Amino acid sequence: MYLTKEQERILEGEEGEALSKMLQLIVKIGEVNGAEKLISVNSAQIAGVSYLTVGDAIFSFFDMINKDNLKVKIPSWLNPAGMDMSRYKEMGIDSLFSKKQIQIIEEYKKLGIKDTLTCTPYLVGHEPKFGEHIAWSESSAVSMANSYFGARTNREGGPSSLASALTGLTAEYGLHLPENRKPELLIEVDAELESFADFSVLGFWFGENQGGKIPFFKGIKQLSIEKAKSLSAAMAASGSVAMYHVEYFTPGYKKIKKEDLTETIHFTEEEKKAIYERFKEQNNIDLIAIGCPHASKKEIKMIYNFVKSKQKKSDVDIMIFTSRRVLTDIETISIVKELTKKGIKVYADTCMVVSPVTRQSYRNIITNSSKAVFYLSKDKETNVFLDTLENILRRIVG
Amino acid sequence: MKELEVKVIVTGSVRGEAIVSKKPISFLGGVAGKKGIIADIQSELHGKSIKDKIFVFPESVGSTVGSYVIYSLKVNNVSPLALVTNHAETIVIAGAILAEIPFVEIKNNDITQLASSGDIITIDTEKKILTIEKSNN
Repeated sequence: MYLTKEQERILEGEEGEALSKMLQLIVKIGEVNGAEKLISVNSAQIAGVSYLTVGDAIFSFFDMINKDNLKVKIPSWLNPAGMDMSRYKEMGIDSLFSKKQIQIIEEYKKLGIKDTLTCTPYLVGHEPKFGEHIAWSESSAVSMANSYFGARTNREGGPSSLASALTGLTAEYGLHLPENRKPELLIEVDAELESFADFSVLGFWFGENQGGKIPFFKGIKQLSIEKAKSLSAAMAASGSVAMYHVEYFTPGYKKIKKEDLTETIHFTEEEKKAIYERFKEQNNIDLIAIGCPHASKKEIKMIYNFVKSKQKKSDVDIMIFTSRRVLTDIETISIVKELTKKGIKVYADTCMVVSPVTRQSYRNIITNSSKAVFYLSKDKETNVFLDTLENILRRIVG
Repeated sequence: MKELEVKVIVTGSVRGEAIVSKKPISFLGGVAGKKGIIADIQSELHGKSIKDKIFVFPESVGSTVGSYVIYSLKVNNVSPLALVTNHAETIVIAGAILAEIPFVEIKNNDITQLASSGDIITIDTEKKILTIEKSNN
């Protein structure tokens, strides 16, 4: 691989052992993937924040990094944590977990990384620009960045995105190169897609059947940022899909060449129904969980508009997960107050997948996110069901 | 004795006893970082230690947090002598670099078919060769 003199110097340890290791990591990953050089990235989004997933292993790593007093070279933000950072007691988080979680975030902040604690950086003022190179690791945000915004990032891991944050670099391979961003197959969407859950179902179906490939969707009639977010998250979870194209809605769709599309597959009402059927509610629900990926202002408003003139009738717990930036938005604050009065909890900084609470306290969860279904159902003792937001809300208010 | 060509990811020439997982390994959840033992109850190696052995696996899966687990093996003095795989990917590359554990990828062969737990493996990262001496049992 070609390296500049400055990069060689860092690799040789002239700026300390920690930075040398961080750059080695990028270079080796690049070499294995056939990269010819390193490129600058404009931002990093870093996973590996919840104590539930990183455990104690991460502390020895922080010790190594801190020896050289490293700081990030580019704007960098964190993925969600394992708890709401101000209401963790109310959530039922134990004191050992909260202590460790606070410590982890402090360590990241020491490096100069911002504690946005969200999987949706693009909803809190960090929209990536068309064509820019970035190093993001949250899989749904990676797909949003590549597909909806036209930025360029591979599906980074926690450590590799952190290495990019500290060096400002990544290796030039995969989705950083235009030739690897072309769609391989055509998906004719014949089914009607309306709710967020419908988009999530399409994503789940594609990922499960055609994982790792880049599709070109035709027949989609509307694609709001919330719908794209549902679609992105589901495909990334069930099939590690990091990019897709949608006719009329994603940048560059006009340049797609027919001859690149080697196969055509139809997504009909039948496929859509089959997924809903598979995750259909079977037991008495004890938790309704919304906000995977984190709910936008618009989604919180939608929920409020649905429940405002009604009363919560059942004893089911309802949790909405969002980012702190959205929770404390001037327009959202009053809505959240009203929702709280109705017994609906709106938490920030965390979500149903990375917080221990959902799995510890609930056995039958319903959500409108296929991504949440995918991850939560890995726990054999938790039953997870899928439905549209409206259907979910309808059964709890009267 | 069988000699195999390798691609070197992290250098370091070592010789030791092999411990071979036939199934892909997820370091997060699959290996206990404090003790260096296989924690995955689905694994045929469940409860066995990888400390000071040459840990062989076909490929790695699971969360990228697995890199930090590999690093903690080193910090807790329970790390394997080396890591050997058919397919090197980001999680283990990052972990092996951070922990400075020799790591090689086998070219054009399935190492999990050729080596068994108990065999003696020698890795020469200068010559880019891995040698397997079959154990008698």
